[in-house]
Amino acid sequence: MKEWRKQYSNLIEAPLEEQHGPKSREELDEMKMPYEDYCRAIFAPGHEMGKPEALKGIRWMSTTMYIFTPHSVANLAELGAEVYKFEMPRMGDPMKHTSPFNEAYLYPLHDTRPVTGTGFGFLNANPNEYYVSMDYHLPEMKEAFYRIIKMSDGLTECYRPGTFDRWKQSYRYVQELNPRFIYVWGGGFGYGPKCFGGSYDILGQAHAGLASVTGHHEFMGGHCTKHSNWCIDWYSGTQITFGILAALHWRRKTGLGTMIEFSQVQAATRCLGHTAPMYGRFGIVRQRWGNWDTQLCVHGIILCGKSDFPDAINPQDRLEARYTMVSAFQDADFKALCDVIKKPDMYSKYMKHKDRVEGEAQVDIYAQLEDWAKDKSRSEVVRILQGEGLLCEPVMNDREVYENEHYRVRGTVRWMDDPLFGDVLQHGTYSAGLLSKTPRRLYWIWRPVGADNVKFYHELLGYPISKVQEWYDKAWI
Amino acid sequence: MCDIIWCKKDVDGKPCNTVNYLDPYCFWNWKGTVNCANCGTVYAIHMIQGHMYSGPDEQPAGTKPDTMPLYADKPLEGYINFPMGTEGRTRPFECLPRHIYLGVPDMVKFSIRGRPVRGWRPQPKSAGIAGQFPYNWDMKNLSPDVWAEYQEKLAKGEVKDW
Repeated sequence: MKEWRKQYSNLIEAPLEEQHGPKSREELDEMKMPYEDYCRAIFAPGHEMGKPEALKGIRWMSTTMYIFTPHSVANLAELGAEVYKFEMPRMGDPMKHTSPFNEAYLYPLHDTRPVTGTGFGFLNANPNEYYVSMDYHLPEMKEAFYRIIKMSDGLTECYRPGTFDRWKQSYRYVQELNPRFIYVWGGGFGYGPKCFGGSYDILGQAHAGLASVTGHHEFMGGHCTKHSNWCIDWYSGTQITFGILAALHWRRKTGLGTMIEFSQVQAATRCLGHTAPMYGRFGIVRQRWGNWDTQLCVHGIILCGKSDFPDAINPQDRLEARYTMVSAFQDADFKALCDVIKKPDMYSKYMKHKDRVEGEAQVDIYAQLEDWAKDKSRSEVVRILQGEGLLCEPVMNDREVYENEHYRVRGTVRWMDDPLFGDVLQHGTYSAGLLSKTPRRLYWIWRPVGADNVKFYHELLGYPISKVQEWYDKAWI
Repeated sequence: MCDIIWCKKDVDGKPCNTVNYLDPYCFWNWKGTVNCANCGTVYAIHMIQGHMYSGPDEQPAGTKPDTMPLYADKPLEGYINFPMGTEGRTRPFECLPRHIYLGVPDMVKFSIRGRPVRGWRPQPKSAGIAGQFPYNWDMKNLSPDVWAEYQEKLAKGEVKDW
């Protein structure tokens, strides 16, 4: 017996029936299930509530607004942390009133404001949280604020630099109350010469250099473009969550808290890939390349001539359902593509990938592709190219995503019955990765301002109801 | 805030030094008079798209202000402040723009698959303590008209899974 196998000798020498696992080849085959079924069984969309929560036992405070910092806490709340969202009394997170188009869709917001609701822009950034109202900058509310700090694992805040310090609740104050406390400051610029600049998603995209390389080049009639729906807010928030999880792990080892400082304008730089190193080596300032790709060709989005839904009322369906992505950058695929569109000359001209990835070549190739597609609808193009074994998928809109079987089977898009707001179509929680043992889950989308004041002040902190009512009447909570 | 009025009016031999905050909800496009929250001096201002086009011009004593600032503080004196809704000094905060800026939201009672949503106003009060809301929306009791409509939809088969 080889030396390294000796450690397993008890297993190797043991009779088969005493060992773990299947006892025969037949039994092994029986125990196997197809991979598809295996995945469905372990992820089981719709059965998340029966499984344990990875972050149960973590208590987090969220003194955040809009999307960027709230989303860092939303990730924790979906994974089972007990999160208290602190909002200004009777007003709430300004994001509740912001989007889309300043319209409020879900009521109520607060008892004192019966005609005000919350816009759907608030969705996904603060799920599963307890909603507490507190004007924590008031000296009268400091005691309650410090009390919850002593009982929590951490806090995320989004104020301008030094604001929490002025209010005597920054990291250097709270670590004296609770040395295990993890404090997150999600600032716009972070410390540095532009320390006092606030931030928004679009500012982060612009200042980090991301917007300058996004969108079509000017010769195609394009301009620098921001990604829609504040993707850098969502992205930066998720980055903070990684920081929090690392800090929690560090605390398990050392027993000590951490301060996390997170600059939104810095975060967007990370997703710029080769941009900075390329400048460092060659002095080349990267340009925009629209829906095409500077590394691969063909690998982009093309415009087809006809809409898939020419009679639809909604212009997004009627006019926009004309785009499809095509990928055929390997030589064999590119040859197949040229054959399909009956342009064998194009293949002989750009036989090597090095030739076709050049800028001028791409302009020529995509123009010829769109010329071929100009009398076809999007679904025709997809059908033809997929029939040739090429990678091609339509650019889908919201409705098509909603109706897509793939997402329904996986539970990515699903309806939920919110305890307060009723029927809500949900696409956030369950699109953020699947965990077989401790999946994300959604209990409620959000709650009205101060909806959990009694749970928080009375049940958790132990203040008498009369005190809670008094504070409420004074608009301190 | 779109702008401030830093009141320098002489009060008892000292400058008033109160910063009155002009919020965009009210003052974004505004021509009229507004008082200082501390000394009550009235200023005429004209703001266009959030910029002070003219003013602030002090008005003779006794002029009645058209409106009040939202919030004011005294930064040189340890941030003594006049919070929102201080009677006779600042305006209460309604969190709503002036009516001309208000869109009319689409108010619906049912989602696209025919199940009830709370998408209309006004809503019944929470009947809880300190803004507390019960966990479940008891539609049958709190919104009986929507409940009745929902029963009709169910009977007609208009409620779907997707």
